[in-house]
Amino acid sequence: MNLNTLAWRNLWRHKRRTLITASSIAFGVLLAVTFTGAGDYFYTRMIDAGANMGMGHITLAAPDFNRAPSSKKVLKDTDSLLAQVEQIPEVKDVMARIQGQAMFASAHKSIGGMFFGVDPEQENPESNLFIKAMIEGGMPKSASDKTIVLGVDLARKLKLTMGKKVVYTTTDINGDIVSAIARVGGLFQTGSNEIDSAVALLPIQSVQQVLGYQQNEVSVLAVILHDQRHSHQLRDRMQAMSQFSHIEVLNWQQTQPDLAGMIAVDKSSNYISQLLIALLVAAGILNTMLMSVLERKREFGVMMALGMSPRNLFLLVMLESFWLAVLGLIIGTIVTIPWYLFMSQTGIDLSAAYGDGFSFGGVLLDTVFKIRLFKESIIAILVGLFTLALCAGAYPAWRAGQTPPVESLKTI
Amino acid sequence: MEQTIVELQNLSKIYQQGELEVKAVDNVSLTIKKGDFAALCGPSGSGKTSILNLIGGLDNPTSGDVFLDNIELSSLTNSDLAELRKNRIGFVFQAYNLIPVMTAYENAAFVLELQGIDKAQQHQQVMQTLKEVGLAGLEHRRPDEMSGGQQQRVAIARAIVTRPTIVLADEPTANVDSHTAEALLDLMQNLNQQQGITFLFSTHDQHVIDRAKRIIKMHDGKIAADDYRA
Repeated sequence: MNLNTLAWRNLWRHKRRTLITASSIAFGVLLAVTFTGAGDYFYTRMIDAGANMGMGHITLAAPDFNRAPSSKKVLKDTDSLLAQVEQIPEVKDVMARIQGQAMFASAHKSIGGMFFGVDPEQENPESNLFIKAMIEGGMPKSASDKTIVLGVDLARKLKLTMGKKVVYTTTDINGDIVSAIARVGGLFQTGSNEIDSAVALLPIQSVQQVLGYQQNEVSVLAVILHDQRHSHQLRDRMQAMSQFSHIEVLNWQQTQPDLAGMIAVDKSSNYISQLLIALLVAAGILNTMLMSVLERKREFGVMMALGMSPRNLFLLVMLESFWLAVLGLIIGTIVTIPWYLFMSQTGIDLSAAYGDGFSFGGVLLDTVFKIRLFKESIIAILVGLFTLALCAGAYPAWRAGQTPPVESLKTI
Repeated sequence: MEQTIVELQNLSKIYQQGELEVKAVDNVSLTIKKGDFAALCGPSGSGKTSILNLIGGLDNPTSGDVFLDNIELSSLTNSDLAELRKNRIGFVFQAYNLIPVMTAYENAAFVLELQGIDKAQQHQQVMQTLKEVGLAGLEHRRPDEMSGGQQQRVAIARAIVTRPTIVLADEPTANVDSHTAEALLDLMQNLNQQQGITFLFSTHDQHVIDRAKRIIKMHDGKIAADDYRA
């Protein structure tokens, strides 16, 4: 009988103990999938939502625009840039936008806020959060329309309804104060008060006229990627391309440092939770293997007396850990798949606790708790738990091979 | 001239029990010849099992030397000792000590597996040996499906299947009834007489002492007498 078969049979000497330990590994898989999956899902949702609120996963802007935004810092020749960015395979959408600060005034009140000049033909609900959040009216009909789309709280504060006039005042390309009139053509409600009470959308050509921009001039090109995880790598690649060397290429971590910071902090606490789970699983495996080794001390002594080397004894116990890990991972996978399917498709509705939505790092999130796992996370969980099980078995295995045979044989 | 297979030279083994030193083996010199059927006998604590352990390389002497097939054991590493036990020594224990998850066949084949013998050769050797020890037909039984006598037969099969230089048997009849003990002794005596396998027993059992060709009496770690039966 080879060591592998012997190890497998040894595992079933105490069926209940083996199954309990394998179940703890399986539970570890379930928890790791839930924690990691929640992270993968929510971080992606937050990052995508943040990107869809204006700046994209990657932002192309005039030099220094991100550090100190100003109407004077203009991105030129945007048609050409847009065409080049669209050629990049990772890019899902690219939109020219003008971003600025403005004072919005109605007959009743004036309130400071920010605007995005957008081209309705370029924008779509997949890449623009505000379109999705539209509750009345709609986006401007054309880029030169004289309409404005307001956050519902901003409209309420200004006591504006659909079709009413708004005067917005801002600074133009020369730093001069300029004003224009627009009629309310739509209202959006994201659920985040800080957004709904401060943001307005304007047709891009109207804004260009007001600011004194040429048709080919905007503040930023917001680039939406198929997968946000490529943003860092793609930014580096684009920075190295000569056609983008004269402008700033930024990823979302640079344009939304608050969000990046919050995600980093949240990730750290998530990692700590997972580490604690891993330690609990490891303690279970260690305990089982150590018990198993101690109660077979005499048998190991006999094996060594018969000529088994300490190395082979180590290998035998490691193989037992290996099979225990395989068993735990198989049970874990069987148990976790239905859970994962439910959580990734339906999820748990937390609206009773959080209302319609909650914002995190200035980004609005829905209240359905879902999970989603990236391929690399699945591999990391399986490899991580497998390695953990082997590491937890290493000490008992080493111990099995180290006790002198004569000592082991004395054990009753 | 009979070949010496084991030689003990001024062998001592002192155990530390708390602050007390116990001399389990006290300056013993002894040779075991090929074909010996020898019994180390004496009261409990006289050093019988300690000598077997030292010959088997399971324990290290405090002083003196052990030679097995002219190999000095103290010069060997743990791995070398394991190799030596695997290829040259067979062990039979009082409590049988079969591996419970293995069948009779697998227990007997265990050392051959460690030696890396191919399956066909293993099968031939194991089946032959199980037949020799009277267990033909029981090869698929696990230890818990066999009587004590049958288990000890498997242990003997495991010890002799590699045709070792010597079989060290520590109280091999202590856990079986006298009828079974006689049967086991018949078996080992036959193996000794017909195949020339050398046996060294440690025993209290008069059955074993009566059958032994050579009786080595131990007392307080020393050899009190060493006689060949006429």
